[in-house]
Amino acid sequence: MLAYVIKRLLIMLVMLLLVATMIFVMFRTMPGDPTASMVDPSIPREARQALLERYGLHESLWTQYRIFMGDLLRLDFGNSYFYNRTVLRVIGDRLPATLILMLTAMLFAYTIGILWGAWMAWNRGTRLESVGVTFSLVFRSAPTFWVGLMAIMVFSVMLGWFPAQGMRTTGYTGDTFVEVFLNRDFLRHLILPAFVAGLYFLATPLLIMRNSMLEVMSEDYIEMARAKGLRELRILYKHAARNALLPVVTAGALFIGAAIGGQVLIEVVFSWPGLGREIVQAVTRSDYPLAQGIFIIISALVMFMNLVADVLYAFLDPRISYR
Amino acid sequence: MHAKHLLRFAAVTMMVITLLAACGGPAELADEDMGELVPDLVILSSLPEANLVNYEMAQELADELAQIGVTMDARPTDFSVLLDVLYGEDMDYDAYTIGWSGRVERLDPDMFLHSINHSSNAVAGANNTSRYVNPEFDSLADAQRREMDIEARREIVWQAQRILAEDIPRVTLYSRANVQTYDRTRFSNMVNMSGEGLFNEWSPMVMEPVSNDYTVPIVASNVNITNLNPFAARSVYDWRNLRLIYDKLVRLSPEVQPVPWAATGWQVIDDTTIDVELREGMDFHDGRPVTVDDVVWTYQTWMDLPESYFASFTNPIASVEATDGTTVRFTLHEPYAPFITTTLTQIPILPKHIWENVGDVTQYANENPIGSGPFKFVRFRTGEELVTERFDDYFEPVKVDGYIFKIYASPEGVLTDLELANVDVISYDLIPAHINQIKENDGGRFDHLELTEAQDIGFFYIGMNNNRPPFDHKAFRVAIAHLVDYDYALDVLLDGYGSRGGGGLVINAANEFWHNPEVPIYDTYDPQRAREILADAGFTWDSQGRLRMPRD
Repeated sequence: MLAYVIKRLLIMLVMLLLVATMIFVMFRTMPGDPTASMVDPSIPREARQALLERYGLHESLWTQYRIFMGDLLRLDFGNSYFYNRTVLRVIGDRLPATLILMLTAMLFAYTIGILWGAWMAWNRGTRLESVGVTFSLVFRSAPTFWVGLMAIMVFSVMLGWFPAQGMRTTGYTGDTFVEVFLNRDFLRHLILPAFVAGLYFLATPLLIMRNSMLEVMSEDYIEMARAKGLRELRILYKHAARNALLPVVTAGALFIGAAIGGQVLIEVVFSWPGLGREIVQAVTRSDYPLAQGIFIIISALVMFMNLVADVLYAFLDPRISYR
Repeated sequence: MHAKHLLRFAAVTMMVITLLAACGGPAELADEDMGELVPDLVILSSLPEANLVNYEMAQELADELAQIGVTMDARPTDFSVLLDVLYGEDMDYDAYTIGWSGRVERLDPDMFLHSINHSSNAVAGANNTSRYVNPEFDSLADAQRREMDIEARREIVWQAQRILAEDIPRVTLYSRANVQTYDRTRFSNMVNMSGEGLFNEWSPMVMEPVSNDYTVPIVASNVNITNLNPFAARSVYDWRNLRLIYDKLVRLSPEVQPVPWAATGWQVIDDTTIDVELREGMDFHDGRPVTVDDVVWTYQTWMDLPESYFASFTNPIASVEATDGTTVRFTLHEPYAPFITTTLTQIPILPKHIWENVGDVTQYANENPIGSGPFKFVRFRTGEELVTERFDDYFEPVKVDGYIFKIYASPEGVLTDLELANVDVISYDLIPAHINQIKENDGGRFDHLELTEAQDIGFFYIGMNNNRPPFDHKAFRVAIAHLVDYDYALDVLLDGYGSRGGGGLVINAANEFWHNPEVPIYDTYDPQRAREILADAGFTWDSQGRLRMPRD
């Protein structure tokens, strides 16, 4: 098991270096260079040249690449061109907001998705099943920004239950993590965007769970459990659902990997100060270090969570072992 | 094809038939005896999502030119790519659409006359991207820069505008209107400025709370603040806050006249020597006094940074020194009339005792800015809000208890919070759809809001490479000015929220002091007249209806 994990981690490292190279090349081949968004055209042209030199952008691509990879191996992502801060600091400033929103939405979607999905498979062919499938697919297909706007209109403007924008009441003070995130004001702001994002994510765990349950339900040990005269609910959730969980776990692990990227549309609609908007801006402004840093971290997380999912398999399904 | 196009198409078909009928007479030239074909042209325009008006107007121009026998390909281009082409070494382009934003320092005519029209800037990387060269104009552009007497300078600026209106180095399409709004039930005495709107540097200083219960205005922005270090701040959103936290020697009044501020006055010793008297008894927010040393250090540091945001304003300074405890003497390389109206009004005074110890000033994060301005920095949470409070020791204390600059992700979000009264002032221009919603005021939802309108001094234009055929022919540029449907841009595309453009118009009527109202501007769509202008200048149409250059 340990040997397997180490082997996987080594492969991951090679993959990451390849991904970093691809990301590097992709941003450099994108039209325009960062000075275009950094320097106002009314500034003398010497200014632009000076900036290019300050950031080493006058060097050959090969030199730039060597420096970039060298720094990367030392886990130095450099400084954002725009924020005068290290890339890790910029990401760190935004990450908590993104993760809290995404994980809350995930908790919502996966709890409901797993329980409801299992229940739907158990009651296959009933009207409630088709209602569930339709419901989840509607919110999967509806544009999230539209669902978000509708939610704001109904719950914030018409009913006044939740605040419409941002993640705190304007002027809110608080310094520690607890003061900033674990309080009623923050939770009130969190509910609506998390609910809308959760509705969007719901279809994945729900439908995967339903499908994999249908397979599991034809297995012999379910028959066996029935023969023993166990209660329906106990068979459903204790025996069948546990084994049907595997694909949902994979999806969930990958979801966490991608969650750091946030949901740009949700962030925009609710003015949620997350990382998603930052990524879009970093790319459009050609803020190479920031964009590269974010994408490399996302890829690393996705790969790592894939590994976590594989390892979890062994615990969830005793038949699987790694050598 | 909409009705307007159909009409135009019919008119042109008629014209072509008439023209063809006129051809065939013995006096007509054979194709080979005519001048060169007008080359096929490319106009680099905006991506529709970046600027729909520019995108549409470039398409329109291409259609118009097709009808007079010129092929023009309208090519929507990413903004940063466009800048690369315009400012690149090759200078390889025919025409383009772009704009100059109406920032407050551009109220001084130097930018829109000298920087973008003088022949010394018609080189790679400089701002005269039209490559316009006219020695007569150059001498006026130089003269206005040297003339320190403001009335005499205006005379020269007016003459220069006359030449631009005749030569038409570029065709201005439109200027936007700054339509903004604030909560009149909470605050009064707002100032509205051309090119700046409501969140200018005066409103926060003079606005008054209506009641004592609500004294901190929330200002909505839809763009994040990126940097609180004045040496690294490059966006107008950063500056709108920095200029309230830091003070400046001179500020431009709402009527755009320079008023002594952190200075008590200035004295022009001669054309290249200016003495500025520093106001006494001012403190920074940390309690240390503001001294001439701070002023000298600040200006010297800006002058030493070639890539700074204010480089074009500090380049004319040769030296800066303190001559006594309250006087700072600036010596200029050559006379520079905008020195007081732009240089002194833009450079913020920084505390030397903090900055001299930070190493590379451009890399310093400056997370807790200490200035001497009317507002004290309290905290900034990126993507959320910047909070300030009143600086009680300021020599002219403000009437609000501070302000909060609240960052939103979309104008829709701001509109919702306007309706819920969570926002008091907006700091950007409302989009036409939102203006109309606020005007309609369905169910009285926006009863508490006051809409304000100011004309922008910035402008959007069609740029032409004056160094390249056919735009090197003045007549062709004049014809282009007649092929632009200014009404379509303003009434249809901008919903009427803006002002008309015109050939060679750079200083528009919103800039009251410097705009020359007596100059006739070509600003009417008249394709028939465009044809006549071309024909008079010797342009001809060949047997296939293609436009040919005049024979030399």
